Amino acid sequence: MMIEYLAIVFTIPAVLTIVIGAFAGVLIGGMPGLTATMAVGLLVPFTYSMDPTLGLMLLGGIYCGAMYGGSIPAILLNTPGTPAAVATAIEGYPMSRRGDGAIALKTSVYASFFGGTFSVVILLMFAPILARQALNFGPPEHFLLALMGLAGIISIADANTSLMKALITGVLGMLIAIIGTDDMSGSLRYTAGSIHLVDGVDFMPALIGLFSMIQMLEIASQRGYEKVDTSALNAPSKRVKLPKGLGKFMALGSGTGTVIGILPGEGATIAAFLSYNFAKQVSKAKALFGKGNPEGVAAAEAGNNGCVGGSLVPTITLGIPGNSVAAALMGAFIIHGMIPGPELFTIYADRTYPFILSLFIANITFLFIGLSVAPYLARIALIPPALMVPVVCAFAVLGSYALNQSVFDVYLMIGFAFFGLILKKLNYSLEALILGLILGPIAEAGFSQGMIIGKGSPTIFFASDIAKVMWLIIFLLLLPPLINYFRNHRKKNG
Amino acid sequence: MNKYLADQLFLVVCLVVSVLLYVSTDTYPGIAQKTSAVYVRFLAISFGSLAGVQIFFNWFDRSSPDKIRLADHVPKFVGLLVALILFAIAFEPFGFFISALIFMPAVALLLGSRNYQWIAITSIGAVAFVYVVFVQLIGVNLPGSGF
Repeated sequence: MMIEYLAIVFTIPAVLTIVIGAFAGVLIGGMPGLTATMAVGLLVPFTYSMDPTLGLMLLGGIYCGAMYGGSIPAILLNTPGTPAAVATAIEGYPMSRRGDGAIALKTSVYASFFGGTFSVVILLMFAPILARQALNFGPPEHFLLALMGLAGIISIADANTSLMKALITGVLGMLIAIIGTDDMSGSLRYTAGSIHLVDGVDFMPALIGLFSMIQMLEIASQRGYEKVDTSALNAPSKRVKLPKGLGKFMALGSGTGTVIGILPGEGATIAAFLSYNFAKQVSKAKALFGKGNPEGVAAAEAGNNGCVGGSLVPTITLGIPGNSVAAALMGAFIIHGMIPGPELFTIYADRTYPFILSLFIANITFLFIGLSVAPYLARIALIPPALMVPVVCAFAVLGSYALNQSVFDVYLMIGFAFFGLILKKLNYSLEALILGLILGPIAEAGFSQGMIIGKGSPTIFFASDIAKVMWLIIFLLLLPPLINYFRNHRKKNG
Repeated sequence: MNKYLADQLFLVVCLVVSVLLYVSTDTYPGIAQKTSAVYVRFLAISFGSLAGVQIFFNWFDRSSPDKIRLADHVPKFVGLLVALILFAIAFEPFGFFISALIFMPAVALLLGSRNYQWIAITSIGAVAFVYVVFVQLIGVNLPGSGF
C-alpha cells in the first residue's frame, strides 16, 4: 500500500505543489509579522477548488517551510520571522555579528530538517495506531474529546491570558458555533433572520480575522517601524563546516518538539524555548549561551520544526488541533469532507498517507533552499510594512470570500478582527476562541447524541472507562494553570 | 476607557448574554428540548459562571488603571478599517481586480509609503498573481474575474 501512496506523492503535479508550498512557506516565515497560521489560514479557502490531496500537500509544504523560514531573518537580522524563531535569534544573531552567520544558518537548516523529519516519522508511526483507538469512541467520548481539546489550549494560558479568561473565550467560541440550524430539530437558532447565518458562522473568516487581519491592524497602526541592523547581511558567505557535537542537541530538540507538538494547544514557540532551555542545561558550554552558541540554535530549530509532525498527531487522529496552524490545517481537511478521525486512515487513506509522506519532501525542499539561498532570502524581512500590509489584507478579503463566495463572510472577518483585537488587548485568548468555534459543532453533536443514548441522563458522559480516563486527562490539563492562577493571585494580594 | 472598566463591561455583557441564552432554550421544539437545549443551557451556565467569577476577581484586583489602546496611530488604524469595509462593499459591484487595484495603493499611501514605483509593482504584481494562480490555475470564482 505504501508504494501506492508514494506513487501519488512522486507525480510531477504533487512534487511541484509541495516544492511551491515549501518555498512559499520559507518566504512567508521569513517575513516578520507573517506566521504559518496566517499563511495556512489564508490559503485554506483557495484549496477548496483544488484536488484535495494536492491542496493538503500545498498547505503541509507551507507549514514546514514557514517553521524553518522564520530562522533566517532571526539569525541575520535579529528579526524573528515567526514567534517560534525568537529562541533561535538569541544565539543565531550574536553568531552573525561575530562573522559566523553562515555556520548559524547551516546549523539552523540541518536542525530544522532533522526535527521536521523525525516528527513526521513519529506521525507516520503513531497516528494510525491512535486513530484505531478512536474507533472505540462513541458520542459521549467525542463530546469529551472536544472538551479535552479546549482544556489543552487553555492549559497554556500564561501571564497575559489567564486561565479564567481563556475558558471564557473558549466557551464564547462554542456559543458562536451554536448559531445556525439546530441539527436535532432542524429549526433556526440565533440567526436574527439573516439567511447568511442559516449554515452558522464559518470558522474560516474567524480564523483569517483573528490570526491574519489582527496582525495587519497592529502592524499598520504602529507609530514608527524599528530600524533593522543589516550589517550581518553583507558578511561574505563562505562554505563552512557544521560544528561537531550538534547531533545531541538536534536529537534533544526533535524529541522535545515532537512531544510538545502532540500535546494539544502547545505551540512551536514553547517547543523551541523548552528545547533551548534543555540544551542550556545539558551543554558543556553553558557560559556561551546568549553569546552565540550553535547548540542553542540546533536545539531551538529542531524543537520548533519537531512540532510540525507532532501537532498533526492529535489533529488528524482525534480532531484536536495540536496548535493554531494545525487548527487551520484541520479546517482544510474539513472543507474537503475529511473529518479527522479513523476515517482518514481507512476511507481517505489514499489522501492522508500521501499528505503525510509529502511532508518529507517539504523538509527536503527547505533543506535545499536553506543550503543554497538562505542569506538572500533574509532580505524579505526588509520589505516595508506599508507595502506588505495592503497585499496581505487583499488576500485576507479574498480568502474570506472565496470559500462560500459570500461578501457577508468578508464582513464577518473584519468583525472578528476588530472584536478580537479588543479581546486581545483585554488579555483574552484568541486561540481558545477559534478552538471553541471549531470544536463547538463536534461537542454539540457528541453531547446531543450522548443524551439520546443515555435517555436524558448526563451520567452517560462518565459511564465508559475511556470517558473516565478522558475526564482525568481534562483535569490534569487544567490543574497546572489552575495552581499557577491561584499562586499568582495569592502573590498579588500578599 | 481604562482596561478595568472595559473588561468589567465586557463581562457584564457576557453575563447578560448567558442569561438570555438560558431563557431562550425554553422555546426549543420537540426532541431539541432534551438534547440541544440541555447543551446550550450547559454552555450558558458555564459562560455566566466564568464571567461572574472573573468580575469578582477583577473587583479585587483593580491594578490596571492604564487605558485600553487599540492602536498607537489611530488615523492609520481607522483608515485601514474603513478601507477594508469599502473594499468589501466594492467587492461585488466592481469585482475583485478593480477594487484591489484601488485598495492596495490607497492603503500603502495611507501607511506612509511614498515609493510610487514599488506601490505600482506590488499592487499590479499581487493582482496578476491572483489572476494567474487563483483564477486560471486553481479556478477560484471571483466577482469580476473577466473584468
